[in-house]
Amino acid sequence: MKVVVKDWHSVAHWRWATGKDKDKEVTATGGADDEEDEDDLCGICRVPFEGCCPNCKVPGDDCPLSRSMWCSGLLACAERFTFVPPVHGKCTHIFHMHCLLKWIESAAAKGLCPMDRRPWETADR
Amino acid sequence: MAMMSTKRLQKELAELNGVKGTPPTGISLLSADNLASWRLELQVLGESLYQGETFAVEFRFGSRYPIESPAVVFVVNDKYKAPVHPHVYSNGLICASILGNEWSPVLSVSAVCLTLQSMLASCKEKKLPDGNDAFVKTAPLDPKKVRFVYDDDTV
Repeated sequence: MKVVVKDWHSVAHWRWATGKDKDKEVTATGGADDEEDEDDLCGICRVPFEGCCPNCKVPGDDCPLSRSMWCSGLLACAERFTFVPPVHGKCTHIFHMHCLLKWIESAAAKGLCPMDRRPWETADR
Repeated sequence: MAMMSTKRLQKELAELNGVKGTPPTGISLLSADNLASWRLELQVLGESLYQGETFAVEFRFGSRYPIESPAVVFVVNDKYKAPVHPHVYSNGLICASILGNEWSPVLSVSAVCLTLQSMLASCKEKKLPDGNDAFVKTAPLDPKKVRFVYDDDTV
């Protein structure tokens, strides 16, 4: 019996390197790990860092912050992914850029990190 | 903004319902007919002055939740009474800094309930707040309209 490959699609899986899940990146290559870990979620909106900003329908065009291209598939255009990466604080806490800006812009924030209430300073990445 | 609060509240609701994850012990959902107002039943675990008592708390969320804190009060009606506690007025209003100037968007409904449980659990004496009667006579029913002063860190 012969098998003839008529067509094939390549699929890439990506996630932000938040520095919190080094071990998982190795073990999760099978893609079976769908469990949401607290570490992978933005503490403010509880959406994974890879998801779009909660006020945007799709990551990309609708998000005023990212001005990014939403690419539907081919690896060839992977370079066009320009999602805004999560924002890292010097205190090591990580949030969606959008979510953190919403908090920091509110009077209640007093410029503090939501996690440890220390003055928020964005880390250089 | 409303999108953010809707999505987060739906996630929290699934957790409190037990649909996804398990709700914290001593806390159970009484009603959550919409994403604007929820009621939860609350018991204090372990040995405490409130052993055997059951309370209900009401959460009201604005469209800016979780950037803005929810309005949280103990329910006072035919079935439920507010706990007698130095930081809880007899009309159900709660003086707790995390509901006011120390709110953070990483807090949640279950985190607030856990804080209330531990606030009650650590209470040494069942006592109404100073000036309770005068406050209750004039206080608005909306805790957001009260300016609390957080001056007691002991309980």
